[in-house]
Amino acid sequence: MKNFQANLKTLEAADTQVLGVSMDSWFSNKAFADQIGVTFPLLSDWGGKVTREYGVYKDEYQAPRRVNFLIGKDGKIMEEQVDKDAIDPKKIVDACARPKLKN
Amino acid sequence: MHQKLAGALLLALLAMSPALFAQTMPKVGDMAPDFTLKYAAGDDLKEVKLSDYRGKKNVVLAFYVFAFTGG
Repeated sequence: MKNFQANLKTLEAADTQVLGVSMDSWFSNKAFADQIGVTFPLLSDWGGKVTREYGVYKDEYQAPRRVNFLIGKDGKIMEEQVDKDAIDPKKIVDACARPKLKN
Repeated sequence: MHQKLAGALLLALLAMSPALFAQTMPKVGDMAPDFTLKYAAGDDLKEVKLSDYRGKKNVVLAFYVFAFTGG
């Protein structure tokens, strides 16, 4: 989450909203956000319905895997990063910056 | 006998909630499933609906394992 926070200005400049999602309670997420200085919403998927709909639920953790989705303005998925690849969001930040270069 | 039992077990599994099965991730180019989830903003609980961003903003959806873990 810190890595997205570090790139937040670039992402916002490219018309991109960042949303964190976990199966933690909303009050855990609030405390987490405050502790690490995250200013974008950390959403609580209590019960894991959305986590399962996105196919990222992992039995072993009883929680989501680490996965980033970039969703375009048309509602379609543009990029995905899974597990270790999802730690550094560079691919997604670059994808957001790309259309801007064309303008 | 074993086959009958296996068949009955399979039927029982199929009858259970689809949520019990590992669902596959949507692929690049697929529509992102819509959702409404809550987060705490100050003392308020706010709702975020994915489709509210349609036509306005790109959205990064960053699933993470647990709060208070790295990355």
